[in-house]
Amino acid sequence: MIRYVLKRLVISIPVLFLISVGAFILVHLTPGDPADMYISPDMTQAQIDLTRSALGLDKPWLIQYFEWIKNFFSGNFGFSFSSRQPVAEILAQRFSPTLLLMSVSLLAAYLAAIPLGIIAALNKNSWIDRSIIGWTFFNVSFPPFFLGLALIYVLGIKLAIFPTGGMVVLGQENDIAGRLMHLVLPVVVMASQFSANMIRYVRASVLDVLDQNYIRTAVSKGLSELHILFAHIFRNSLIPIITVIGTDLPKIIGGAVITEQIFQWPGIGSLTVAAINSRDYPILMAIVILSAVAVLLANLLVDVLYAVIDPRIRYEK
Amino acid sequence: MGLLNWMHKKRLLVFGVAMVLGVSLLSGCGGKEATTKANSDTLYIGMANPPEFFNPLLNPGIAGKFAIRFMYDSLLGMPEPNKFVPALADSFETKDSQNYTIKLNPKAKWTDGKPVTADDVVYTLNLIANPKVETSKNSNIKMLEGLNEQGKLPEGVSKIPGLVAVDAHTVTLKTKTPVDPNYIKNFLGFEVFIAPKHIFEKIDPAAIGSSEAATKPTVTSGPFKFVTYKTNDHIEYTANTDYYQGVPKLKKIFVRIMNGTLLVTELKAGNIQMVAGGGIGIVPIKDIDILKKDSKLSVQTVPSFQGQYLDVNNSIPEFNAKFRNAVTTAINRQQIVDQLYKGTAQLVPTIYTPISPVFDKNLKSLPYDPVKAKALLAESGFDTSKEITLEVPIGNVLREQSASLIQQDLAAIGLKVKQEKVDFPTLLARARKGDYQMILIGYGLTVDPDYSSYFVPGGSNNYAHIDDPKLTKMMLAAASMTDSSQRKIAYGKIQEYMSDQQFLTTLYAPDWIIAQSKRLHGGIRPFWDGSLVDLHQWSLDG
Repeated sequence: MIRYVLKRLVISIPVLFLISVGAFILVHLTPGDPADMYISPDMTQAQIDLTRSALGLDKPWLIQYFEWIKNFFSGNFGFSFSSRQPVAEILAQRFSPTLLLMSVSLLAAYLAAIPLGIIAALNKNSWIDRSIIGWTFFNVSFPPFFLGLALIYVLGIKLAIFPTGGMVVLGQENDIAGRLMHLVLPVVVMASQFSANMIRYVRASVLDVLDQNYIRTAVSKGLSELHILFAHIFRNSLIPIITVIGTDLPKIIGGAVITEQIFQWPGIGSLTVAAINSRDYPILMAIVILSAVAVLLANLLVDVLYAVIDPRIRYEK
Repeated sequence: MGLLNWMHKKRLLVFGVAMVLGVSLLSGCGGKEATTKANSDTLYIGMANPPEFFNPLLNPGIAGKFAIRFMYDSLLGMPEPNKFVPALADSFETKDSQNYTIKLNPKAKWTDGKPVTADDVVYTLNLIANPKVETSKNSNIKMLEGLNEQGKLPEGVSKIPGLVAVDAHTVTLKTKTPVDPNYIKNFLGFEVFIAPKHIFEKIDPAAIGSSEAATKPTVTSGPFKFVTYKTNDHIEYTANTDYYQGVPKLKKIFVRIMNGTLLVTELKAGNIQMVAGGGIGIVPIKDIDILKKDSKLSVQTVPSFQGQYLDVNNSIPEFNAKFRNAVTTAINRQQIVDQLYKGTAQLVPTIYTPISPVFDKNLKSLPYDPVKAKALLAESGFDTSKEITLEVPIGNVLREQSASLIQQDLAAIGLKVKQEKVDFPTLLARARKGDYQMILIGYGLTVDPDYSSYFVPGGSNNYAHIDDPKLTKMMLAAASMTDSSQRKIAYGKIQEYMSDQQFLTTLYAPDWIIAQSKRLHGGIRPFWDGSLVDLHQWSLDG
């Protein structure tokens, strides 16, 4: 197993390299010169050249790429074009808000979705099943920005129960209750999206398992209901569920672009949009690479978990 | 299958429901607490654009300039166009319009306790003129003797010749030729921030841009001190209790970065007490009525120094003066102002807006006249079978909507116009290269009427690629006049010529919207650029 994990990690190095090359080319192919964003209308060509050279944009692409990768290996993500602050510092500021929002949202989504999915499957085609599935349809088809704005309008402005945005009231950083209140609306929006997807996977997966012979055997052996549910049904339906979790996990790093924008959540998602708009290459590169690492690690984790959950799965050397 | 029967029993259902309820209760914990309102010594400002850096020498964007003015003072304040009040300088005088004497306020000091001296002023101006220094201020000082047209020193020269620190609090400087005193007070006195010599002289001039002093300043001269900047989220300032013009009444200021719609919701919710206004905190027009109905807010619209334009690429020979006149006459600009802007924009004949000191009130905007436009188009000789692409930058929703109205109006006179939406950096890149036919673009303009960079060949803002020898001559002559009233006459003639030639179509000049809580005393002024002049006196009712 350890050998397998190591092998996967080694394989991911060339993959990451290719991703970095692809990202670098794409970022540089975007029309618009970053230097144009940081000059005032009355700047002359000489000044624009000065800014271009300060940003390292005057060198050929290949050199720019090698400098980037050289710095990357020494742990230096470079300077943000738009704020001239170290990229690592900016990402560090943005990382914990996204981590908090996404992990709480995923946790809330799964805690709601897994039991609901099981209940829907166990009550297949009943009104319970239909209302749960109806609910997931509603969540999947309701755009998050609209749900977010509706929640802000009703609960934030009209009823003034929850804050309309941000992570904390600035100047009152130690107010824990205030922080929790800020978390509620964005978590509801994110969790309803995640859970809708998950409920449908859990339901389908449990329905599959219910048809298996070993469930019939378990019931006829006279095992208790809860034992059958947890030891036989749930455990065997975990594989597809783990797969969904695997696709959700990278979002913990990448953040949620739209929801973060609407709720002014100071996370990676809103930073990504700002970086694209200002052609902030170093920030974009760092976000792409971090997201790629997250996807690769999540995939690896999922594969390892498969083997842990299902002893029939073994990875060869 | 009988297998499912036992699973219908209520126990499981109850278990599941309990779990779901538990989760929703957990996420709802924290109690029913109303949104926290700001107290009376902390001001929250909403701003739509992020600042770039906090570099007193390099602040190309409006948001950056605004953010820096909380911390750095200039020599003079300008509460109204061409009305100057003392700041770091007690006086800024001349007898011959060429030799100027600046007396500094002896009480002015940096936040580390050191006095602001004549050396700091001389050092800052020399730094701006240094060809190796990245700065957006060099054109502000290009009138000084010894500097080239870009406001830079020639290679090998390190000091501006006529610039002298006479004593600790007196600076004298000399311009190349006599200039309108308002011109130098505006560009050098008001726009240039003075940097602390004892901090900046330790940094390699070529590396100032990325230095700590330029991104996280600690030694400044203004009413507030920098605390922190969370990129694209907020800037935090704290009062400079040793401020030479008086201790600020507010203790803390947070400038929060958010989009236009959020400015409205946050203002209504009381989470911000003012929007930054100007070009960096624009309240969506559709939301003005919502704000006006709120008794806790004060909302007003004022004319601005900005405009929206349809630039026709002047370097394309077919787009001659007749053609450009046809385009302007064909567009029903009043309709755009009435329908999209709900009347909160002005129709103006040229780039000069109604609050410009040189605005010619007698000049009338070309009337909407499709019949005349058709005739002009025929006279221009333009081949109407050709399709023209109108490039529209994304972001300003009203401008995007206006594009469709413009397209219809141009179609009505027989022009085939295709819209292409592009993001702003792309548009800017194409505009610079002249690689376009028609674009929609907005300009933010200065109080001083010298807009030659928009109209003279090689000008950095000449996106319309105008090359008209007569206009060039007129603009350069007017820029170098020393007498304000003579200049006004010269710019009147320029406006007539511009209206005649329609080098670019001035669509409309949107008003600024000032929206803030009635609790706030102070805030944005009708002349936006001068808003922070009395920042230390701003206060909030409890």
